Amino acid sequence: MISPTFTASPGARTRPFFLWRHLNKLRWLILTIVFAMLVLLPLLHIYQTYVAAHAYDLLSPGETRLYDVMEWIAAPFVSDPAADLDAVKGNTWSGSFWGYKISDPLAAVGQAAAGLSLYWPFLLTALVPVALTMVFGRFFCGWSCPATFLYELNSNFASWLRWAGIRVGNRRFDKRIKYGVLALGLILSAVSGSVLAGAIYPPAIIGREIYYTIAQGGFGVGTVFFLGTLLFDILVARRGFCRYLCPGGALYSALGRYRILRIRRVAESCNDCAKCNVVCEFDLDPMRDGFGQECNNCTACIAICPTDALTFTLRPSDYPEQGPGHLGQRYRAARQAREDTVRDVAP
Amino acid sequence: MRRRTFLKRWLSGSVLLAVAALLYGVTPLLAPRRAMAKRNILRPPGALPDDAAFIVACIGCGLCGEVCPPRCIKFHARDGSTEVNTPYIDVAEKACILCDKCMVVCPTEALTLIPRREINMGRAEIDRTACYPWVDRGICGACVSVCPLGEQAIDYEMWNQYRPAIQNGCVGCGLCVEVCPHPSTPIWVVAVA
Repeated sequence: MISPTFTASPGARTRPFFLWRHLNKLRWLILTIVFAMLVLLPLLHIYQTYVAAHAYDLLSPGETRLYDVMEWIAAPFVSDPAADLDAVKGNTWSGSFWGYKISDPLAAVGQAAAGLSLYWPFLLTALVPVALTMVFGRFFCGWSCPATFLYELNSNFASWLRWAGIRVGNRRFDKRIKYGVLALGLILSAVSGSVLAGAIYPPAIIGREIYYTIAQGGFGVGTVFFLGTLLFDILVARRGFCRYLCPGGALYSALGRYRILRIRRVAESCNDCAKCNVVCEFDLDPMRDGFGQECNNCTACIAICPTDALTFTLRPSDYPEQGPGHLGQRYRAARQAREDTVRDVAP
Repeated sequence: MRRRTFLKRWLSGSVLLAVAALLYGVTPLLAPRRAMAKRNILRPPGALPDDAAFIVACIGCGLCGEVCPPRCIKFHARDGSTEVNTPYIDVAEKACILCDKCMVVCPTEALTLIPRREINMGRAEIDRTACYPWVDRGICGACVSVCPLGEQAIDYEMWNQYRPAIQNGCVGCGLCVEVCPHPSTPIWVVAVA
């Protein structure tokens, strides 16, 4: 536990490890890679079926180009495309990597609720994500969700609109609503006997709709729903779906409540500029140590902090509010000293 | 907190929750239930025999379609109500080759790996008033030649060479339907109830 002590010389402050303020770039790289894989895998699948069917001479010119490009991409990694490309399949909702299956915890919970039964071979596929979530919190939302990629671009688009003088929505609601949505979804899954959460859960929608669009000849209803959430984010609340409605986000927030890896504020370095609060997509309050279970360790606040006052820590709970940063502390200390002097001088 | 702020917050919260509930309810309704056509629209191989149980088990991840070599597995993308995003095979369009890949990759029990001869997607039926050999309009045998299960599934009628007859071993893969040269396709697969 750190005590909010006042340090005289700002140069003597301990600075966080210098790479941490660049993690946000790494995060964007990962988000881009995940999204690109969701586009690439259906294309590779089409190529794979062409190879399996020995169909090169039967293809139209466009299909031939697809074949050639995919062959160029896959050739360094596989010797027998028809069989070897089966190694990596799927999306973030459920995927298969060299025979090892990983599923979204919401899929496991939703299916258990729909059938009112536990099918362990499937539930175990969510074990690794659950364990990672308990250590890193809601990291999926910030670091690998393919919908986040589009939602954050949408947020940037909204700020361009604001810059151009067009009003965009910035309403705030109760963040606990999404837990209600999760509970409601599980109840409705149990009542209707189908995994309903998958139908309104953006990452699942993105994965399958990209696949439908590329390899199945057209997008489905999920695309309409997702466009609706993009409009909701622009017109009603910034990043509103993730903040207030996403059932998966609710599940991860609950799982990550006692996460080990957290971001914390170094009060001696903080100058209370509130940039962290502004960039926070999830409307948290890093400036007053208000991270909470919703924080997805996206590190956008670390990247923007002008005084390197945000860093990682390993502990299962947030620091209690440490009060204002060094400027405020210096002001308060000076005032305190003045008052003390006055008291001493006074008879 | 002032009473007005409190009421405002809870009101906006409950309105948003109601909107979310509406979305949950409306999303499947946007995809109206289409009665599964009696013929040729089948679940992938290894699917749970009870279709309601299949819908419960399927999480709609699309993996079965992504590994299917002939790309015969399609999805109820814009229809199907609670069946939305569940897979089906239209064998008249593209038939299953019984390669087992979808059963292997399925993370849930919706598709479970079972021996090839125990697969029960459906059973083929032949219209004997239209099939060429049955109406003495020549010899064909395309369906018999293509069948991956051989004479246990489809064979020539005794004494009437070239007239195909479905046997008990048929698993309903639909390759015979896909290959049938007759313009009205007098062979089809009926899903087993």
